[in-house]
Amino acid sequence: MDVRLTEDQIALRDSVRGYLAETHPAAILRRLDGAGGRDPAIWQGLHDMGLTTALIPEDHGGLGLGLLEAAVLAIELGRANVSEPIIDTAFVGIPVLLRRGEIGCLPALLGGLLRIALAHDSNPWIADHDVADIVLTESALLGGPADPPLLPAADPLRRLFPPIAESGADPFMLNTAALMAAAQMIGAADAMLAMATDYAKIRSQFGQPIGAFQAVKHLCATAAVKLEFARPVLLRAAVALQEDHPRAPLHVSHAKVAATDAAMLAAETAIQVHGAMGYTYEVDLHYWMKRVWALAGAWGDRAYHLARVDAAVIGGALPLGPDETFSTGADHG
Amino acid sequence: MDSHAPAYRYLKTLESREGFDAHVRWERELAAGNWGMVTWPAAYGGRDLDLIRWLIFEEEYFRAGAPNRANQNGIFLLGPTIMEYGTAAQKSRFLTPMARGETIWAQAWSEPNAGSDMAAIRATAIQDGDVYIINGQKTWSSRAAYADWCFGLFRSDPASTRDHGLSFILLPLDSPGVTVRPIRQLHGETGFAEIFFDNVRVPAENRIAGEGEGWNVAMATAGFERGLMLRSPARFQCTAQRLVELYRAKAGTASPGLSEIVLHAWMDAQAYALNTYSVASTLQAGGKIGAEASMNKIFWSELDRAMHRAAISLLGAAAELRAAPGETDWLDGYIFSLAGPIYAGSNEIQRNIIAERVLGLPR
Repeated sequence: MDVRLTEDQIALRDSVRGYLAETHPAAILRRLDGAGGRDPAIWQGLHDMGLTTALIPEDHGGLGLGLLEAAVLAIELGRANVSEPIIDTAFVGIPVLLRRGEIGCLPALLGGLLRIALAHDSNPWIADHDVADIVLTESALLGGPADPPLLPAADPLRRLFPPIAESGADPFMLNTAALMAAAQMIGAADAMLAMATDYAKIRSQFGQPIGAFQAVKHLCATAAVKLEFARPVLLRAAVALQEDHPRAPLHVSHAKVAATDAAMLAAETAIQVHGAMGYTYEVDLHYWMKRVWALAGAWGDRAYHLARVDAAVIGGALPLGPDETFSTGADHG
Repeated sequence: MDSHAPAYRYLKTLESREGFDAHVRWERELAAGNWGMVTWPAAYGGRDLDLIRWLIFEEEYFRAGAPNRANQNGIFLLGPTIMEYGTAAQKSRFLTPMARGETIWAQAWSEPNAGSDMAAIRATAIQDGDVYIINGQKTWSSRAAYADWCFGLFRSDPASTRDHGLSFILLPLDSPGVTVRPIRQLHGETGFAEIFFDNVRVPAENRIAGEGEGWNVAMATAGFERGLMLRSPARFQCTAQRLVELYRAKAGTASPGLSEIVLHAWMDAQAYALNTYSVASTLQAGGKIGAEASMNKIFWSELDRAMHRAAISLLGAAAELRAAPGETDWLDGYIFSLAGPIYAGSNEIQRNIIAERVLGLPR
């Protein structure tokens, strides 16, 4: 038994991380802020990296990757705070289409020409509805939008639009999107913690870097521990969903709660370490923090996911012993 | 486990004389079935199992309700240290009786003025021919009042300071010149002891690794302590399971908010298990764990305390009474959980280590 990522998965992760570090620095976020938030050149770059077609099966011309690899890449997209609708299109929309056997639009998706928006009752809005070629609901693929009104969002790089009546509540869409939201929060938390520690090394007060003070060290260490123990939970959820494990919804909910808690703590820690600088718009930290606020509420908020864990754990359906860690789950639904 | 462990399920605490003796009987019963330390080579009383199989063994061990290990300082800390730094002669001399529960070990590191600041150690071991002459005092040594041997860290170069000039030396606690004075702990039992050394003569062959190399050996031991071995996840998963069962029984009268704490206990115990399987996979593939071990130690110790505090809250006024025989003694567990964030390097020290060695913050 080996629960580590494979060398191929690590190489894939590192290449995407490197590409985004180079092409999608914080300066991009500042440029997009107030300028519509989207840039076809960024989308094209993500397509050229293979991200738009990553989950399309090889016999349909894609890379044939699974939800585990998608979650690993979603961490990187969260780390870089990418705002293009790549996750909704390629990591949620395409798996939903494949599961339904809707392969008619795969050729256009292969060309990176289509953007998918997701409509679900769990969300009171639809992200990137205005640029969507397809709107995916529980039971239909709807066409592009007719000039929907943009809603005011806390995150200046999120583009949100009102819900539509046909959304429905496809559970696979919810679980996949919740998993990807959790993955992005893990990446964002990592990025914010790095910003906090980088700043603590250079900001000097009382004649020394503030990172040399134990109070600052302990804040950062506490956030790092929370994050460290959210990662394996996320990866386990991704594997469970990929394998259609009966406990996948429970594991996804655990991952969403763990990632939310880790990311919120990382955000608050990073702001605190930055002090008054962190309270300004000049420091880029706020883009990641606002993204975490958005993702924490999207695709089932903390209360929703905690209720699912509650129903399984305290509700009594779940065998709880230590020998059940990697249970097949065949014993319950 | 199911045919042997139930008789040992509700022993008196390991910190009492009577409880300790019962736990040692369990050690011997385990050893009789060759289950004393399953990851060790068969030549030393083990079963040559890999770490993943050790985790599975631990899951079955705790699932069956088997008790905590009387020889945990030996098998989980000193054992792996000897495996890494000991000579062939030391391995065959010390490991087999350790796995068989015949020699129970205590750790003699802390001193009255060297707790978190372990490099402030003052007790000396001065070489005189082929023996060391040991003088000084150790303290807060768990179960030293009942143990047979101790592994200590002593200053072998009297001119040295801090982490230089220390040596890692093993000695019997009944050596002439050793005085063990029990210390009463929170729960009223005397599981702690001070150890006084007055010209105690110890053969030089009892030193692990070279003279003056004790600090590095001790850091490796501490790594085992904080990392994988000392607290396998099954223990916490069982506590979480019992906590969920207690919550179900008390849900009608539980204070609002406790359900979330109980759910977090279950989720965090799961997270700890998943992380441990990941660490075990890394180690098996030839990787190392470094300062990340400090994250482990913080996580399990604070989880354990939170779970026991939740249980105490659920019990309400009933928590004031000691548990009847055959019931989970949550108060005793809570008291023990308070030690978790202190022993094996306080969690404040662990946070410093994480900040400096994982996050790269300045010293």
